[in-house]
Amino acid sequence: MYKIPIKTENVFYRCGKLLFLLIFCTAAQMSQAQSRVTGFVTDNNGVPLLGVNVIEQNTSNGTTTDFDGNFAIITTRENAVLVFSFVGFVSQEIPVSGPQELSITLKEDAAALDEVVVIGYGSQLQENITGSVSRITSESIENIPQVSVDQLMQGRAAGVNVTKNSGQPGAAVSVRIRGVNTITGSSEPLYIIDGVPTSGEAGAEGLSPLAAINPNDIESINILKDASATAIYGSRGSNGVVLITTKKGRIGEGKLTYNTYVAFQRPTNKIDVMNLEQYARLQNAIGEIYGLDAQVEFLRPELLGPGTDWQAEIFDDALQQNHELSFSGASEDINYYISSSYTNQEGTVIGSGFDRMTVRANVNANIKDWIKTGINLSASRTNDRITLNNASNGIISLSLLNNPARAIYNPDGSYAGPVTPDEIAFGIRNPIAEALNIRNTIERNRMFGNIFLELDLTETLSFRTELGGDIGNNLADQFQPTFSYGALERGQNQVNLRRENNDFWILKNLLTYTNKFNDLHNVTVLLGQEVQESSWQGVTAQDSDFVGNEFPILGTGNSQDITGQYIGSSALESYFGRAIYSYDNRYNLTASFRADGSSKFAAGNKWGYFPSLSASWSISNEAFMEDVEAIQGIKLYGGYGEVGNQNIPNFAYGVRLVPVSTGLGTGFEFSNFGNPDLTWESSTQTNIGLDFSLFNSRFGTTVEVYNKVSRDFLYQLAVTDFVTGGSSPGAITAPWVNLGEMVNRGIDLSLSYNTLNSPVKWSSVLTFSHYKNEVTELLGDLVINGSLNLNDTDQNITRTEVGQPVGMFYGYQVEGLFRTTSDFEGAAIQFGRPFEDALFSTTWLGDVKYRDINKDGVINNDDRTVIGNPHPDFTFGFQNNLSYKAFDLGLFLQGSYGNDVFNAVNRTLTAANSYYVNQSPAVLDYWSIDNPNSTAPRLARNDTPNILISDRYIEDGSYLRIQNLTLGFTLPSNSSKQIGISKLKIYGSVQNLYTFTNYSGYDPEVGTYNQNALLMGIDNGRYPSPRTFTLGLNVEL
Amino acid sequence: MNYKKYKMKNIIKSKVLLLVTLSTVLFFPSCSEEFLDRPPEDSYNVDVFYQTERQVEAAANHLYSRPWFNFISNVSWGIGELSSGNARTWDPRNADFTNFAITGQHNTLTQGWESLYAVIAQSNSVINTLPVAVNLEVPEEVVKNSVGEARFIRATAYFYLVRIFGSVPIIADNTEYVLQQVVPRNPVEDVYEFIKRDLQYAVDNLHDTTRGTAVQPGRVSSNSAKAMLAKVYLYEENYEMAYQLSSEVINSDEFSLLENYNDLFLESNDNNAESIFALQWTNTGRYAEGNAIQSYYANAGVTGFSDGWSAIGPSIDLQEAYEEGDERYYATIMEPGAFYPNINGGYTVPETINHQGTNVGIKKYVIGNPSTGGGSQSYPNNTYILRYAELLLIHAEAAIMGGGPLSEGVESFNKVRRRAGLDPIENPTIEDIFHERRIELALEMEFWYDVVRRGPEFALPFLANTERGTFDNDTTPPTVVSETFTPNIDDMLFPYPSSETQNNPALLEAPVPYTFDDEI
Repeated sequence: MYKIPIKTENVFYRCGKLLFLLIFCTAAQMSQAQSRVTGFVTDNNGVPLLGVNVIEQNTSNGTTTDFDGNFAIITTRENAVLVFSFVGFVSQEIPVSGPQELSITLKEDAAALDEVVVIGYGSQLQENITGSVSRITSESIENIPQVSVDQLMQGRAAGVNVTKNSGQPGAAVSVRIRGVNTITGSSEPLYIIDGVPTSGEAGAEGLSPLAAINPNDIESINILKDASATAIYGSRGSNGVVLITTKKGRIGEGKLTYNTYVAFQRPTNKIDVMNLEQYARLQNAIGEIYGLDAQVEFLRPELLGPGTDWQAEIFDDALQQNHELSFSGASEDINYYISSSYTNQEGTVIGSGFDRMTVRANVNANIKDWIKTGINLSASRTNDRITLNNASNGIISLSLLNNPARAIYNPDGSYAGPVTPDEIAFGIRNPIAEALNIRNTIERNRMFGNIFLELDLTETLSFRTELGGDIGNNLADQFQPTFSYGALERGQNQVNLRRENNDFWILKNLLTYTNKFNDLHNVTVLLGQEVQESSWQGVTAQDSDFVGNEFPILGTGNSQDITGQYIGSSALESYFGRAIYSYDNRYNLTASFRADGSSKFAAGNKWGYFPSLSASWSISNEAFMEDVEAIQGIKLYGGYGEVGNQNIPNFAYGVRLVPVSTGLGTGFEFSNFGNPDLTWESSTQTNIGLDFSLFNSRFGTTVEVYNKVSRDFLYQLAVTDFVTGGSSPGAITAPWVNLGEMVNRGIDLSLSYNTLNSPVKWSSVLTFSHYKNEVTELLGDLVINGSLNLNDTDQNITRTEVGQPVGMFYGYQVEGLFRTTSDFEGAAIQFGRPFEDALFSTTWLGDVKYRDINKDGVINNDDRTVIGNPHPDFTFGFQNNLSYKAFDLGLFLQGSYGNDVFNAVNRTLTAANSYYVNQSPAVLDYWSIDNPNSTAPRLARNDTPNILISDRYIEDGSYLRIQNLTLGFTLPSNSSKQIGISKLKIYGSVQNLYTFTNYSGYDPEVGTYNQNALLMGIDNGRYPSPRTFTLGLNVEL
Repeated sequence: MNYKKYKMKNIIKSKVLLLVTLSTVLFFPSCSEEFLDRPPEDSYNVDVFYQTERQVEAAANHLYSRPWFNFISNVSWGIGELSSGNARTWDPRNADFTNFAITGQHNTLTQGWESLYAVIAQSNSVINTLPVAVNLEVPEEVVKNSVGEARFIRATAYFYLVRIFGSVPIIADNTEYVLQQVVPRNPVEDVYEFIKRDLQYAVDNLHDTTRGTAVQPGRVSSNSAKAMLAKVYLYEENYEMAYQLSSEVINSDEFSLLENYNDLFLESNDNNAESIFALQWTNTGRYAEGNAIQSYYANAGVTGFSDGWSAIGPSIDLQEAYEEGDERYYATIMEPGAFYPNINGGYTVPETINHQGTNVGIKKYVIGNPSTGGGSQSYPNNTYILRYAELLLIHAEAAIMGGGPLSEGVESFNKVRRRAGLDPIENPTIEDIFHERRIELALEMEFWYDVVRRGPEFALPFLANTERGTFDNDTTPPTVVSETFTPNIDDMLFPYPSSETQNNPALLEAPVPYTFDDEI
């Protein structure tokens, strides 16, 4: 129902003069008398219509119908004309004079079922669209307790794969539109919010850049998926474009809306670790291997209690609350939407949280009938409290590994910690203390918006100029206090600050020509020019060794202050054009071209050119289809386009010298290898789609297939450490290169069902996405390794090579264990370790037996192979809405099938090689002479080949999640009117209700590590998403 | 709306159009080339640096510190002291050095490999960029001196690499290899040849002396390069050259022994007369700009910060190797109750000191709370790579091995002993030299190379018999809980990091001779 105003605008365009004439005619007859008009509105079948707009023509006076189709309006003039409009129906105008009761039947309008879809730099009827565009409306995402809009897109649009990288409040998600397009650089789409671009790339802290926007300010989200749709965004369109439009006031009485909810978040599950008794048994066995004296308290494990449950201590129920107040309204010439909101979300891992305040003002006005202007402006402040997760030394990992024999607190209330020298040498820090003691916050202030002026130069030609800006200021504060946990001490406290300013502005000039010839030929031509500049600067400061933890103020610490500063900017200059031609609503053709000049490349490579062409054929509008009633709205469409990517650091083509302090004075270190030949990454995409509906448009289908080829993709090529210095201080960062070619082929399917005109309304949308990624070319047949630091060692976990998808899990295959000495006969020697009964450097009974992949009789590096695929076979979303009278029920399922997860947490929990470290109970079934049929290998001292990256740690990450279940009750309008409000809705929902999966970790939805395409599906102690119970209220005055 | 009105409006509109178009055109900042040209705004880049003499003189500064950080902080003592048996630890990761369990997966070893190659990458960048990018008005000898410093330091890094890993890839210009996946390794002889050419260039182009001249203290001189070259010849068993070069260094009088061994390790004595080449750290507190050794060597509470990790302890074997009356013991090892007036204005070693079960602690490189600022892992004291006492021992060894007049060698040898408060030895043997080097350079991360260069017949049994155990203090007097580990011949070299052999399988193939440029 919220689509009405757009619809109305559309009708305005279409009916043009006629409507104006009517307005003027009726205006001439106005007088001052008022009268009350009541009535009800039904469709052809006599079913009452809810939400029909009833407006007194040429005034701002209006209302909508309630559940029973009833309305009541007091006209302001004698001889008023009431306009009844509703999406999908032909509008009716009824002249009224004096009080009367009306019975209105609205006729369905097949053609009007089309929606207006926002495309780049304009909008177009859904019916005539030639590219691939998915639309998410505000209704489908309202009342969901997610703080950031990217999370809300999950499962709502085919071909858009959204995974949360963390359950941390405000954390970034990975949004992949139609597969993975680049290896480094970001694969995140470009977000355009009311015409102002913002990158979806997360900052260093993994916070979503979209967390600054209040999702309930959003009117619609249009996702441009194929290159013919995104080519108009040229250099930044290769990962897809998400167009976000915020709300506008609607014609009618002014509205005051208050929305609120309170949510209760609870961790969904725990990972099984040993209790104290089991831990004691393991300690006794490993202590022997380490040659350490037995711990006296563990001599009788069976007498011990359960010990400390560290997970219970770091996870906690958390509250979330949200309040929003908005005012909106419109008259013929001005509309406004003003809102403010406050959200506060505690994290389920203690010490983490997020809060946000936003204000927004959207105002649009027609100054003359040929001059329009408007402003969209929002300001926000977010505060993040961050804890370290998804790392071997993150709080979640530490809690899993921590010694259950150790209490959290000492009797005096201070944090407990290791006491004995052995324990200090081998033990783990107290994660509760880590979580609560270290203060790590980021405050982000942001002003975001644009202002425009639009001139209708002639009836057919309009000019629009638009200035947008995004001004931000971030304050990051980190403080580590002094502490003592047991015998472990941090004698020095330290504060680290960062103060950062970001400025972005964009100026656009657009000239649009629209005309219709002979009622058959529709032509729209757009010419545009755009410049944008982004600049940033910041200072960092560190001070430490303060006399107390109370006032850690810079300059008051005893050690030397460390300060730093950074400044930078980048710019983009663009020229573009687009022509849309439509013949008789049957044949549509779109061609676009864009030229982008970027500061990211050296002279000679600065400019990139991006053309596209697409067409559609609305078969249903053909004469020969007139008699076909079984099938409606058939449209066949297809297109081809080229887009680019320039998402790399500035001055990657040249060599930067960074200053370092040395005993000889300032030194100038080479920071990177340059590459003057560096040029645009380009992506070409072919898309073919088919839309049709069945059963009188109840059942709708969209199916699209695509082939997307990314060429010259940008990659920071690190061949070997001996060329670059690896990750050492003083290493020279690898050069950015145009590396190779990658193909994503896929199919997006969405099926929808809507009841028509029945008292029980039911609508369902099923989206289904499948892609197949393949790397088809890498410079010089390179192999790219994806590695991650696990427990202080860089581990190569994935491999990317020609002929395979990007980021495949790579490692050894396990055949089993060596259980008896006869297993050694004929077995391949593993890693040069002879079969010998010794603690170090040998292979012995109970060790893992790896497969000799290359059959050369020895097991070494060359025996690694692909052991898993992080890419899903398909992902899906299934949205169901059911409403009956005052009740509505929503059920949203979402999932992924066929993807593997590398469970790095499980690797650490089953390493069985360290003292004072807790493990999974599965470890207790370790191999020994007495337990030859064990499931786990023998215990070890230090790292052995048993914990090499292998298929032991690969798990199926498929899941089906009941993502949301909502039950709402809307007070019938006659009741609500009695208490003076026009709408009142109460709802309750459960988010992340249940997940069906075989995955053994917290949550199979692992996402992409640091948004790095080489590290998809690696669970290294990821912050799990909680289950959230929400109770909410929407009130409209 | 009638037609006439409409037309009139059109005219107005046209005017507005003109106005708007003009104003927007004026507003476009984009029409200049500069708009799309964005060089770094917060740092120099190679196109604008090396324009003045001062900038060129600073070109090699960074090579004296930061790229070395990981090697010196984490790896150098693992190899030099733990593997050699001079020290021991319980820490499981570092213990792999003690018990010869290092594999290519070992992250610490990888850090060493990366760090040394980072030194080489930075040196190469100076060597190859500076002569091309420099403003021609800067005097040639200034340019050559900076290139000489870079080549000296590059040679030093290769010298470590060849001693730790054996055959390694020689990279003289990194830009040739950045896009190349497969790079062969080069034979040990070629690596030595490459090192010698670098050092010869340094001998020829560096300031003759730096000590006592206008040159900033701490920079290497031509004599430094000769000293390093002498050491390289010693490893090649070219005793004539080793003798000749070390004699030249001695005769230059640029360097001399400090009177008191303990003074070598005072912060205030950085770049003293005995320092031939030392890393030049600062105490900015910024990661990798300072000396981190104290953090590992010191016991808790000495440094003034939360470090002092007692990561290793002097092995029982090393403790017993000292001769009676050797003053170097006090400057190297902390005994319970010992008093150090220069640490924190006077520091008495606690009776409980017990690094890793050895019942003693470490003194060498422990300076206490630095005089100005600093922080954990950020101390200003230099790390010696080569000092004059070692040069004297090189001179002595070369002479004993027949490289020159024996008497002069013996004199050099006894200079070192006399300074330590020991009686001279009239006819020192190679065994005496070996012992003297061990004690003189103990905990300076050098001993492993001295053991291994004597060949496996000596090294394998020597290492297998080194006492790496602990004291059991439950008995009185404490008894030794013995621990020894037996290496095999493969352990004489350390394995390449497995990530590297994976990225560059050519490392596992036979070495390929290096093609030398004719000019050195």
